[in-house]
Amino acid sequence: MSLFEKLGNQVIRMISGFAGTIAFSGKVFLRIFQRKTYSSAMREVLVNQIYFTAVQILPLFLLVSILFGSLFIGIVFSLLKELGLTQFIGHILMGLIVTELSPFLTVLLITLRSSAAINTEMAVMKVNREIRTLEIFRIDIIDYLVMPRIINGIISIVLLSSLFSIVLLASGNLFSRVMFGMSTDVYSNLLLNSTDFSDIVIALLKCAVYGFFITLIPIRFGLRASRELTSIPVVVSQGMVNVFAAILMIEVLSLLTKLL
Amino acid sequence: MSENVPLISNQDVYMNIALIKQYHENMPRRKAQQLALTYLERFGLGAIAGRRNPALNTEERFCVMLLRAAMVKDAMILIDQPFQIVPHLQDGRFIMDALKIIDDLYSSCHIYDYRWMEKKYGEL
Repeated sequence: MSLFEKLGNQVIRMISGFAGTIAFSGKVFLRIFQRKTYSSAMREVLVNQIYFTAVQILPLFLLVSILFGSLFIGIVFSLLKELGLTQFIGHILMGLIVTELSPFLTVLLITLRSSAAINTEMAVMKVNREIRTLEIFRIDIIDYLVMPRIINGIISIVLLSSLFSIVLLASGNLFSRVMFGMSTDVYSNLLLNSTDFSDIVIALLKCAVYGFFITLIPIRFGLRASRELTSIPVVVSQGMVNVFAAILMIEVLSLLTKLL
Repeated sequence: MSENVPLISNQDVYMNIALIKQYHENMPRRKAQQLALTYLERFGLGAIAGRRNPALNTEERFCVMLLRAAMVKDAMILIDQPFQIVPHLQDGRFIMDALKIIDDLYSSCHIYDYRWMEKKYGEL
């Protein structure tokens, strides 16, 4: 096989894989709005998933956001002071930290913890023939396994990203008081004046899209496992690489949306 | 039910059983789980309700798989090579006793096995 044929095959595989993921996403997205999706069994899985993803992680998440947030805000504020750009504090806090940094760091943390777990869980279930078992009992895999995880991804990322923003803004309040002698009233006014409603909507939408894809891709790759135990690490690594590629793509698309 | 149709390993025993009712009949979680617990008690297995598949012995696993199969509405249970699920049994008495305990939960039951296993079933 020539180099061009190999390259062509790779490109075809990549495009068909991408098209497959988009088609699967469409199918799953439509199910979100169907009433029959929300059976008692599905709701139970959803509650458990939200607990595992958004509640169990809270202590670590709060610690990371307080430590990282305070350090980051401290550095940004001292830079602004040095450059004489203190009048832009509000814009930087809202435009950069709330709408860009919070969703991105949140999605990274959740991907490392939950996406990897979901990918492995699906692959193990496939290898153990548990997926086949569910099919034998006429339990729809998308309704029972996929939907709770996807909805959990959307809810968890939106909530945790909002929490991250709140922690960062609180740190900002503290640092602005210490470094610029700014009162809470002035700080709040500064933030409100710099807030663009469309930016907040885009940030929330971005979180939802992140949540959708960082759960959908691991599930899709996990379900590709064969009967062999050795297929588990293969599909998990493929899934995680694709999740990170998706995160970067979503980030680029959201930046483009902001620019246009 | 068959060795190739295993219990869901990331769910407790009672959730495995309740799942069928919760999914197909949209039965509320508490009611379905209470039902699962009641049926487990018939086998004297209430204590294993909170365990997961790897923590069960073969007899317990058989009973749980049987109950799960019986949760289907108007269940027609088909047991494929039961001695693969409970390999150390000398004869089919345990299997028949288990089926008798929940005979009100299914409409019919068929056991499939190789002819050379016939003597294990004896007169049954």
